[in-house]
Amino acid sequence: MSDIYLRLRGVGMTFEGQIGGQEGLQSWLSRWFAKEPAAQQRYRVEALNDITLDINHGERVGLIGLNGAGKSTLLKVLAGIYPPTAGHVEKSGHVCPMFEFATGFEMNQSGWDNIRIRGLLLGMAPAEIEAKLHEIAEFTELGEFLSYPVRTYSSGMFIRLAFAVSTSINPEILLLDEVMAAGDIRFAEKARRRMFEFMEQGKILVFCSHNAELLGTFCERTIWLDKGKVVADGPTGEITERYRCMAAL
Amino acid sequence: MQAMDRLLADSWQALRVWRVWMFLGVQDVKARFRRSAIGPLWILLNMSLFVVGAGLLYGVLINQPMKILLPYLVTGFTLWAIIVSSLTDSGWAFVNAEGYIKQFCFPKQIYLLRTLVSSTIIMLITLPAIIPIQLYFGSFSIVGWLLAVPGLLLLLLASLGHITVCAYLGVRFRDLPHAANGLLQVAFFVTPVMFPAKLLQERHLAFIYQINPLYYIIEVARHPILHGEMAAPEVYAFAVGYTLLVWAVAGLVASSLDSRIVLML
Repeated sequence: MSDIYLRLRGVGMTFEGQIGGQEGLQSWLSRWFAKEPAAQQRYRVEALNDITLDINHGERVGLIGLNGAGKSTLLKVLAGIYPPTAGHVEKSGHVCPMFEFATGFEMNQSGWDNIRIRGLLLGMAPAEIEAKLHEIAEFTELGEFLSYPVRTYSSGMFIRLAFAVSTSINPEILLLDEVMAAGDIRFAEKARRRMFEFMEQGKILVFCSHNAELLGTFCERTIWLDKGKVVADGPTGEITERYRCMAAL
Repeated sequence: MQAMDRLLADSWQALRVWRVWMFLGVQDVKARFRRSAIGPLWILLNMSLFVVGAGLLYGVLINQPMKILLPYLVTGFTLWAIIVSSLTDSGWAFVNAEGYIKQFCFPKQIYLLRTLVSSTIIMLITLPAIIPIQLYFGSFSIVGWLLAVPGLLLLLLASLGHITVCAYLGVRFRDLPHAANGLLQVAFFVTPVMFPAKLLQERHLAFIYQINPLYYIIEVARHPILHGEMAAPEVYAFAVGYTLLVWAVAGLVASSLDSRIVLML
């Protein structure tokens, strides 16, 4: 069996742009017609700065840090969604990102078709999807609503559908971004159990959470990020304790 | 150069997951006609209405026999439609896929291929409308249809180039699809689609279509279908040249914007 790993070498991610969100033609037009040229306010955010990491087969790694520390950016770089602006990422293994459940639907298509599309985009083969279709449908508890176009769904129903599909695959590298809260009370409990089983399956797990208890349950190793840099990297108990002390200050 | 390497690797990977973009493309067409009673037949019906209406009027106006003009109009108009969609709708290819691009790690090129698939399907539904017309006028030729295959493939390749350019630029410049729409309306009147190229020739205005690349990529597919023979070699040469040019531009645009698309959405 091939080895599964994630390696980051000096990875940096810098977001640059212009404050005000006017890009493209719009900004040229407003520049031409503005009586006094507005001062160009540009922003530059170093979301990740020179991160070097090795995550090997079998490791379960937690990510901890304040809001804006770069946790989600790191996950998106690991997933290959953000191309790093410095350094490089080497990886082997199929990455399964689980970042959000509220977007990525074809509004005019039925629940069934959205299950198929989501399954394909997560890397399932069509035959695999068809084989699991009923199990997924059952887990969503959406019943006849699955035949309705998803634009008629409530936000809770979207989450059920996306969650059921995402957790039905066999992940190699599983990247999770604080997605434990899913649906109503009954579903949340069921989802939590399924999530736990699911997290056990991943050959590599990178899990971002503010909940030290959860990190303790799942991850032997935790990485503490602050301002895009690795502050500490070590056993979960130790790191979460230090993090708690810092946050209490 | 590194950007180019990554782009090629991504594109190759995108081609390999053909089942994904094929499915998405087919779903797009299906979704468009969901809950409509006659579904994709609307494409055929609309085309027939347009052609009969315009055909009768134009036939009198420009004094062309129906036998020639009707098949000419249907073929030209169908092929024109795929060019239009490759230059306008494609501007939304990435914008509409935002929810996917930001959370799944497939190469973005699958959303370009998805756009090509749905417009190709629409073209393949419409093209057979020419056959009954040709049969009626006794000008149907199976050889012509077979000879049209290379031309059609060339047209699709050029369209994929268009789609790439417009999809990438469309994220940066959200006005692009609207602008392209306007320009194509003008292009429609100067491209021999509604009138035969001969008409311009007779009035010593041949240069109007001769400098129009869209004419060549239509003609490589249209000429064989209508006349049962390959188009002139120079027509292929221009069509191939234009396709290469579009692909060069597409490569340039894609390699410079590829890594920033997700940040601009």
